[in-house]
Amino acid sequence: MNDQHPQPPARSGTGPTRRRALTLAAGAGALTALGALPAFAASAPPKRPAVSPMLAEGEGSTTRMWYRAPAGRTTMLERALPVGNGRLGALVGNDPGQEVIFVSDATMWTGGINDTLEADGQFPYGRADFGSFTQLAHVTVDIPDHDLGAVNDFRRELDIDQGLVTSRYVRSGVGYERRVFASHPDDVVVVHFSQRGGGHYTGTISLDGTHDEKTSADGKDNSLFLGAEFANGLRYGAAVTARSRSGSVTTDGARIVFTRCADLTVVISGGSNYAPDHTTGYRDPDLDPATLARTKARDAVRHPATTLLHTHVADYREQFEGMSVSLGPSTGEQRALDTWERLKFRTQQDVPDPELEALYLQFGRYLMISSSRDGLPVALQGPWLDGNDPDWMGDYHTDINIQMNYWIADRTALSRNFDAFTDYCLAQLPVWSELTRTHFNDPRNRFRNSSGKVAGWTVAYSTNIYGGLGWWWHPPGNAWLCNTLWEHYQYTQDLGFVKKIYAMLKGACEFWETRLVTMTVKDASSGEEREVLVADNDWSPEHGPQDAKGITYAQEVVRDLFINYREASELLGRDAEFAKAVAGLQERLYLPEVSPKTGWLQEWMSPDNLGETTHRHLSPLISLFPGDRIRPGDSPDALVKGATELLTARGMESFGWANAWRALCWARLKDADRAYELVVNNLRPSVDGTNGTAMNLFDIYEVEKGRGIFQIESNFGTPAAMIEMLLYSRPGRIELLPALPAAWARSGSVTGIGARGGFVVDLSWRDGKVREARIRSVGGRRTKVTAGGVSRDVDLRAGRSVTLRNFG
Amino acid sequence: MRPPTHTVARTLRAALVLAVTAGLAVAVPTTAQAQRPDQAPIRTSSAQDPVAEKPYMGWSSWSLQTTSYPGVNPDGNYSYLTEANVNKQTDALASKLKKYGYEYVNIDAGWWRGWDWTPEFDEYGRQKTNTERFPSGMKAVADRIHSKGLKAGIYLPVGLEKEGYGDGRLRIWNTDDCTTGDIVHSDLRTTNGWDSSYKIDFSKPCAQKYIDSQARLIADWGYDFLKLDGVGPGSFKSGDNYDNRADVAAWQKAIKSTGRPIHLEISWSLDINYAKDWQATSNGWRVDTDVECYCNTLVSWENSVEDRWRDTPGWTRYAGPGGWNDLDAINVGNADMSGLTKAERQSYMTLWAIAKSPLYSGDDLTKLDDYGLSLMTNRDVLKINQQPGKPAKPVTSVGDEQVWASENPDGSWTVALFNQGDSASPVTADWQALGFTGQAAVRDVWNRESLGRHKDGITQAVPAHGSRLFTVTPQGPELRTTAYEAESPGNVLSGSASVAGCDECSGAKKVGNLYTGGKVQFTDVVVKKAGRYLVKVAYTSGDPRSIGVSANGKAPVATAFPATGGWQAVDSISVPVTLKAGSNTIAFDSGEGYSPDIDKIDVPRV
Repeated sequence: MNDQHPQPPARSGTGPTRRRALTLAAGAGALTALGALPAFAASAPPKRPAVSPMLAEGEGSTTRMWYRAPAGRTTMLERALPVGNGRLGALVGNDPGQEVIFVSDATMWTGGINDTLEADGQFPYGRADFGSFTQLAHVTVDIPDHDLGAVNDFRRELDIDQGLVTSRYVRSGVGYERRVFASHPDDVVVVHFSQRGGGHYTGTISLDGTHDEKTSADGKDNSLFLGAEFANGLRYGAAVTARSRSGSVTTDGARIVFTRCADLTVVISGGSNYAPDHTTGYRDPDLDPATLARTKARDAVRHPATTLLHTHVADYREQFEGMSVSLGPSTGEQRALDTWERLKFRTQQDVPDPELEALYLQFGRYLMISSSRDGLPVALQGPWLDGNDPDWMGDYHTDINIQMNYWIADRTALSRNFDAFTDYCLAQLPVWSELTRTHFNDPRNRFRNSSGKVAGWTVAYSTNIYGGLGWWWHPPGNAWLCNTLWEHYQYTQDLGFVKKIYAMLKGACEFWETRLVTMTVKDASSGEEREVLVADNDWSPEHGPQDAKGITYAQEVVRDLFINYREASELLGRDAEFAKAVAGLQERLYLPEVSPKTGWLQEWMSPDNLGETTHRHLSPLISLFPGDRIRPGDSPDALVKGATELLTARGMESFGWANAWRALCWARLKDADRAYELVVNNLRPSVDGTNGTAMNLFDIYEVEKGRGIFQIESNFGTPAAMIEMLLYSRPGRIELLPALPAAWARSGSVTGIGARGGFVVDLSWRDGKVREARIRSVGGRRTKVTAGGVSRDVDLRAGRSVTLRNFG
Repeated sequence: MRPPTHTVARTLRAALVLAVTAGLAVAVPTTAQAQRPDQAPIRTSSAQDPVAEKPYMGWSSWSLQTTSYPGVNPDGNYSYLTEANVNKQTDALASKLKKYGYEYVNIDAGWWRGWDWTPEFDEYGRQKTNTERFPSGMKAVADRIHSKGLKAGIYLPVGLEKEGYGDGRLRIWNTDDCTTGDIVHSDLRTTNGWDSSYKIDFSKPCAQKYIDSQARLIADWGYDFLKLDGVGPGSFKSGDNYDNRADVAAWQKAIKSTGRPIHLEISWSLDINYAKDWQATSNGWRVDTDVECYCNTLVSWENSVEDRWRDTPGWTRYAGPGGWNDLDAINVGNADMSGLTKAERQSYMTLWAIAKSPLYSGDDLTKLDDYGLSLMTNRDVLKINQQPGKPAKPVTSVGDEQVWASENPDGSWTVALFNQGDSASPVTADWQALGFTGQAAVRDVWNRESLGRHKDGITQAVPAHGSRLFTVTPQGPELRTTAYEAESPGNVLSGSASVAGCDECSGAKKVGNLYTGGKVQFTDVVVKKAGRYLVKVAYTSGDPRSIGVSANGKAPVATAFPATGGWQAVDSISVPVTLKAGSNTIAFDSGEGYSPDIDKIDVPRV
């Protein structure tokens, strides 16, 4: 439902806030260069490849996703194939007689700053106040003579090697083909129709808004367009145009009519005047999105479809080919099955299908490339919606979801795609800081600082794109965001990046300086009492008591925050005094104990199980993954055992992201069987909304019986777990094949895997043992590489590499 | 006709008191129906065309009478039924459809009732023409239909309608000493699907005379077809009071005695447990509830076109010359009125055609659109319906994706792909499920084109609720199989499973009692090569049931088996299993549910 209209325009409401935020930002010394360009902007003419970048048939490292039937309007989220250029996302149905394309733009957000707390001191969380991500438009291409009931040999596929959706069919002996792609360089979605054998296309194109907009037509350039403004003042627009080298293309009413076209190119553009800049209220007041959309569509359609395709594929390949993976061969019987049958067969037979599993991993990368470029980061569903009321607003969740989205970026040669996440945090920070300063210590907020002081910034469980926070305050969220950012530095060793995020880290530390409270605890072994610092009243994410001090999750992420901040301070030579103070805090931080009652690492400062044993969140295990304070071999056995016992108790039967997180933890514990089992659990075919993988490989979470929704995190988190099974790293340490499952052991290889400490690893194995590992420095110097009980010290300059063999 | 509670509120009362009058008939050589359907019917007379030699084709008034589509029933519910409208439809049938074989114009319920549904009876307790609807009388209507070279059909409810009872004092026509009181039970027990009649007691000698008098009336008017409605067991009724088998038999006898060949069709949702009785005494039986939605279209997919895919298979064996499985009217002629998508309309026509259902339109024949007309007049499709041979039935699991097939007299196969799901899906017909291998020539019947040769099978994307219809001509060898009996002593039976006798079964035995954990596991199923096999499962099932099928202890795949027509009636479908080279086990596990009985499996030898 579209309920944003009653909302007063946000711009008037954000005026004073903007000023306050600026003041605060300056005070915090924050704000390095923000990408203040609007997300949808005029762009320079794209670089066109001089030679065809297209792979020959049969080339390409990855199995294609393919199907024998199209998706329909009512099953787009489970069956349609996604394309995206990082900002525009589209779901493509591929019905021969009626091509349906649902287009979203990542900035299509209702809502605003949402700075009026509810009676409990928490944030409103509605589609009008907090806002919701929504769709941009639907494009339909009707070709009545190609009714599905009258065509033969239908096939559609997603080629993730080239970022290309293709469908083919035969009608009356003529072979028809259609290609759909979302081009980043041309900033449009292209649908190209062709045929072989003297056929032609006759039909209509329509552009339908999803917020009751009126579509207009312009016969001069055969375009349709719409433009409107949300109640929050966000302006947006979309346009579609078409061109054919044969037949006729005209407009009739609000439709494009094409007649007897041997070929047809349809170009879709659109966007909003969102700008990631709080100083302008997150708007570019000068941008007219409808006009820009028309311009972009018109510019693109002038080029031959092949030119547009080559430009896109060259751009896409450049990112995609950074990593390859082989987990071993599948059987001829498995290969013969279409992707949906194959998923079902995988589960029914419970036999590994290494090529399908590798495809699933690469599909996560495909989604990342398609949804995280130079605009907003990936939200709960990325830019792929089938309605305007996505669950949880299609927003950003700070207590696992957004972090998990980015775990694969640096691991799988997509470090540049991480930038959207960084830029987002930086662009939101001024408002987050302001809201924290003015509202966090509201006396109604049960999570407020009992010190009465507040500094720096934090977030709530949900965040929107206007600096707004939603639902409950999430004090340790700031630390987890910072730690996620910091890992990017660990992979890239990019000092410029540290400079960019430094203020964020510092602000988070300042927040915790005011929030930690002193508590006296008794040491379990010695019985001696000591004073420690613990986090104030809080809720272990979505689990158990809501007024618990010193929850494990907070203690662990704050500890990592402090460590990371101190390193940043040292790297940049800044704020030595403050870093020293932080070190002092860190030293006194309480760290969780293992419960003598349950044998589990405690989630709360209590030996009792105060929650649900199999709860989806693994917050108390955050130092097993993504943190690494708890390390088998290095950490005290009792601690590792406590973590293992807690993880065991959480169980193996959860869903999507929860399984992925579990798999990552088991990989850290070097338990290949359990890690693999959880990966496989996520590959179960989702039928009637059950947890698992949909036909289009989107991860589905069953919110209620019979209703499944798309949650993208698992599409990233599960691949991250697969990588973590092949390679573990932390600064100074790389371990090869730490949790290689039997299913992949016979032979395999990966190239381009990121390793913390500033390295990239190519790796091949046979019969469970490393054959060869090539370690390349992308800024890292020294590390120790271990496999099969054999360790090698590596010392490299940036850009250099070494190939290692003869591991045990 | 469905129970009145499903009809529009305004006519609820009227429908409740649906009643009857009757007339007379002429003698006819209707078919003797006791023989098996695949045997040639024995005719009692050769003077006339045999009745129901093929599924009849025509038009019926009922669908239009039921709809609240604007303008169709201006004088209240069911008011479409008038002489003018029948004449109009007669003319349209004659001009547009007669050349394709459509010939019956069937007047449905209401010809003896006023606009308010009040029935009229003659002095003999027989239904009397309502002259507001039919000012020229029923005979004149029939004569006019005949003048167009068509046949005329009329309608009666089963039993003695309450309003025709006349306090039991009405004399039965052509008798000296029989009254309406002499033909019913003394307690005036009621019968039929609406309890609108007194049940006739055929142990009384006068009872047959009443039916004779009704048959005489319609025969004298010149009717060629009678729909006898509300017949039980069926019509949503069971129990002795609703057992109308004697009524139907009496009608058969009465029609014969008129000397006029009158097709006797019985309705509705007849109980399959009495299929042999219906076979013996009638020329067709409605296997399901009304197809009409009683809404502002003629039908809707959910209410209740789609039910036929589930309910028809069990009846397959009972259809044949002289008596056919009646799936109810076809309402595919007009996009707006039908209430269906294009794909649904094609599926509707496809199923009716291949199931050899009578093909009678319920549409306004004056308003057929091009697509509707093309569906109703595709000569290849009509030929599939009208040519000799068994009706098609499912040959694989009956989930959302279904494959129905039947062998044609020329050795080719009629193969339909159906997608019962709400979104497009691929559907595959494997040649092995039809009993042959290798190449086959495929002709697309609806699209009138050759699709060339296909090896092993054909897969096509089928729209939501859609269908494809092919004629497949095998060119490869017959499939060779190895049989494994369910009752084989080497098999493992668990839970409630037990061996039971079954005359039709191979070895006269099967494994039954497969419910809530009951399981039969075939052991030592040997194949030379690993891979996917289509195993033909012979089974019996009184109703559609599911069972989990698995090989070598893998996860069971829930497999939906259509009804076979009774627990002693054997049929088969082919189900895929993945086998390894060498010895395998194949298990049929009821899981939490109730499952069919398993007779044997035939495993392809590849």
